[in-house]
Amino acid sequence: MRRVFGALGGFAAFVALWEGYKAVGAPEGTAVWGVHILPRTDDLSMPHLYTVIQRLGHPELAGGRPIWRVVLDACLFTFGITAAGFAAGVLVGFLLAALMQRFGVIERGLLPYVVLSQTVPLVALAPLVAGWSGRLSFGPYPWQDWMTVSTIAAYLAFFPVAVGLLRGLQSPPASGVELMRSYAAGWWRTFVKLRLPSALPFLFPALRLAGAAAVVGAVVGEISTGTRGGIGRLVIEYAREATSDPAKVYTAMLGAALLGLAVAGFVSLLEIPLMRHRRRVEVNVI
Amino acid sequence: MTAVSIAGVTKVFNAGRSDEVTALSDVDLTVDSGQFVSLIGPSGCGKSTLLRLIADLIEPTSGTVTVAGKPARQARRDQEYGIAFQQAGLFEWRTVRRNVELPLELRRTPRQQRRARAEEMLGLVGLSDFGGHYPAQLSGGMQQRVAIARALAVHPPLLLMDEPFGALDEMTRERLQTELLQICAKTETSTVFVTHSISEAVFLSDKVVVMSARPGRIVATIDVELPSRDEAARQSTAYFDTVTAVRKALRS
Amino acid sequence: MKWARTVLPPVVVGVLGLAGWELTVKLGRIAPFILPAPSAIWAELVEQRGNVLDAALASGANALAGLIGGTVVAVLAALLTSQARWLSDVSVPFAAVVNALPIIALAPILNNMFDSTSSVPRRLVAGIIVFFPVFVNTLRGLREVDPTHRELMDSYAAGGWKFARLVRLPSALPHLFTGLRQASSLAVIAAVVAEYFGGLQDGLGARITSAAAFTAYPRAWAFVAGACALGLAFYLTTLLLERLAMPWKARS
Repeated sequence: MRRVFGALGGFAAFVALWEGYKAVGAPEGTAVWGVHILPRTDDLSMPHLYTVIQRLGHPELAGGRPIWRVVLDACLFTFGITAAGFAAGVLVGFLLAALMQRFGVIERGLLPYVVLSQTVPLVALAPLVAGWSGRLSFGPYPWQDWMTVSTIAAYLAFFPVAVGLLRGLQSPPASGVELMRSYAAGWWRTFVKLRLPSALPFLFPALRLAGAAAVVGAVVGEISTGTRGGIGRLVIEYAREATSDPAKVYTAMLGAALLGLAVAGFVSLLEIPLMRHRRRVEVNVI
Repeated sequence: MTAVSIAGVTKVFNAGRSDEVTALSDVDLTVDSGQFVSLIGPSGCGKSTLLRLIADLIEPTSGTVTVAGKPARQARRDQEYGIAFQQAGLFEWRTVRRNVELPLELRRTPRQQRRARAEEMLGLVGLSDFGGHYPAQLSGGMQQRVAIARALAVHPPLLLMDEPFGALDEMTRERLQTELLQICAKTETSTVFVTHSISEAVFLSDKVVVMSARPGRIVATIDVELPSRDEAARQSTAYFDTVTAVRKALRS
Repeated sequence: MKWARTVLPPVVVGVLGLAGWELTVKLGRIAPFILPAPSAIWAELVEQRGNVLDAALASGANALAGLIGGTVVAVLAALLTSQARWLSDVSVPFAAVVNALPIIALAPILNNMFDSTSSVPRRLVAGIIVFFPVFVNTLRGLREVDPTHRELMDSYAAGGWKFARLVRLPSALPHLFTGLRQASSLAVIAAVVAEYFGGLQDGLGARITSAAAFTAYPRAWAFVAGACALGLAFYLTTLLLERLAMPWKARS
């Protein structure tokens, strides 16, 4: 209940801040030593929030479908791609974590790179992976734009899962591992009955991080590839029209926010049956 | 002069609620100047609560607590006691020396004096060479010694200890017990010591106060007369007899 | 030899990886638009080092501005919210929700709000992205107080600001750096990627997209390598700062 209040309260504070600043801020923005540090407050740069809501109901172009439908469709499209990438990333992350737990050598060899990969902007590769579309094919299946986007989402999702799950798999106390040994349980049995359940409190926070990363990867990927039909493309398109139709780009932003929430909600749904009565452990992935 | 005087103290937690519990019921206790008094009893008998009442970390529901001739609250403000807990509670971000200097800092003692006093206390507990180390580099026993040095840094007339050796192994415990007695003798502090261990209580104290389970009451006060307070004492008949007496009182 | 055990495997993996990459591209005749060879990337990097450095400095400046701004605001916000229990209980879920959204998508809107020649939008996006991990972690550090430390400071009658200065802030420092480690990498990522959304194009992000648009893939990869180096530099600097600010963590 507190969480809902928190979200609502924060949202209310945001609305107050936005409209409040619009009311008192200088129309040309505020400049300190020639650098604009506060934005312009005229309706073109900062439309009233109510205008944005209204815009949702109006058509996209003259005589087209209402914006909220366009945005929603774009969200769904991107959600599908994100989900595909997320699933792939989680799977690979899972396999890698299991491998690293099983073979210490692999852990020592690969983990530094996995951790380092979180400190560098790998998503910068997006425009380069985008170059694959239209030129690469697996047999009869040509590489399509959406696959690029999924790939980018997948490898942004894969790292937090690999690190978080590895920590989780290594978390059972030595006494627990020795107990399984005394039952003559092999690596697989120990993995399934001890390590996996112990890893769950570490896995879900990592999944949430991976989900958010996948969304960012998908949005940036869509922009780099120019994929039509997704929310990333919509944000850029509407941003171009900002001078004539300022509220439009904000509707696209709402869509992007909705996407992020949907993915987070999806992970939380997975969590409910598996994490009842258990505390969560936040693992710092770098 | 009495160091501590407790009269008719009762402590009730969560009064009026469904989880109300009477931790202490009508307790009287006196600690004379320079005396070493142990509080012993089963879990939940209120001995830690009693210690915290003396320290003014909690307030009694009824009754009075007098420390160094003042009400407990005033005594805390005037820093009339030093306290050591089961967890050494050292600040991991400060060196050992700076940890011992903490109460002196709070009293705005000038830097030179602080330094000198801290060195003196570290010498007292045998850790002069470790002033520049960080707590994480010290063993549990050493950390506890630093905590004792810190507790005595302001040269308080009263020392309060809540199972300070509880987390240590037997050998370290016995060694620290001997050291503690030497320190208390040298500094002439009165001590109130909470413990679970009968042997520890008898070895250390002039007086062992036995408490009953909830609601906490004082069941017996046993005076301890040992020929000496060293390793030989641990084998003496007087020691074993007193231990038996305390055990009987606990069982009753 | 222990050193060899930890250092050797990643070095071996790195060398084998690079060699394997080089061979696969050369022998498999993989076109540069899919994957250029490391040697080609290196050649471009050397040739373009002036441009790479300039772009890296521009992106680095944006990332740094965002990092510092976001951290300062986050620490202040954490200090404020830690004063009221209800406020912190409510703001952590809110921060978690906002953090799940693709904040980078704010870039086009911010570009509209400011001049098209301004660096502020990219710095703002970086700042907002930096805010959340630093805020959440610092708040956690400020709220978690060791109960023994609490009792100790109570016994010294030291509360309020004294307690915050001597206990809360130093013990929150490790948590602050946990957040800062994540934030430093996120700031670089944000500064580079924000350029994909338009706005002033003088940093690494713009170079990558323009090189890709001209199908000069090895050059594009060279700029990516520059971005990775920048990210690493930020991360390592943060680690260094951590070492300097918390000397007690290093030795144990």
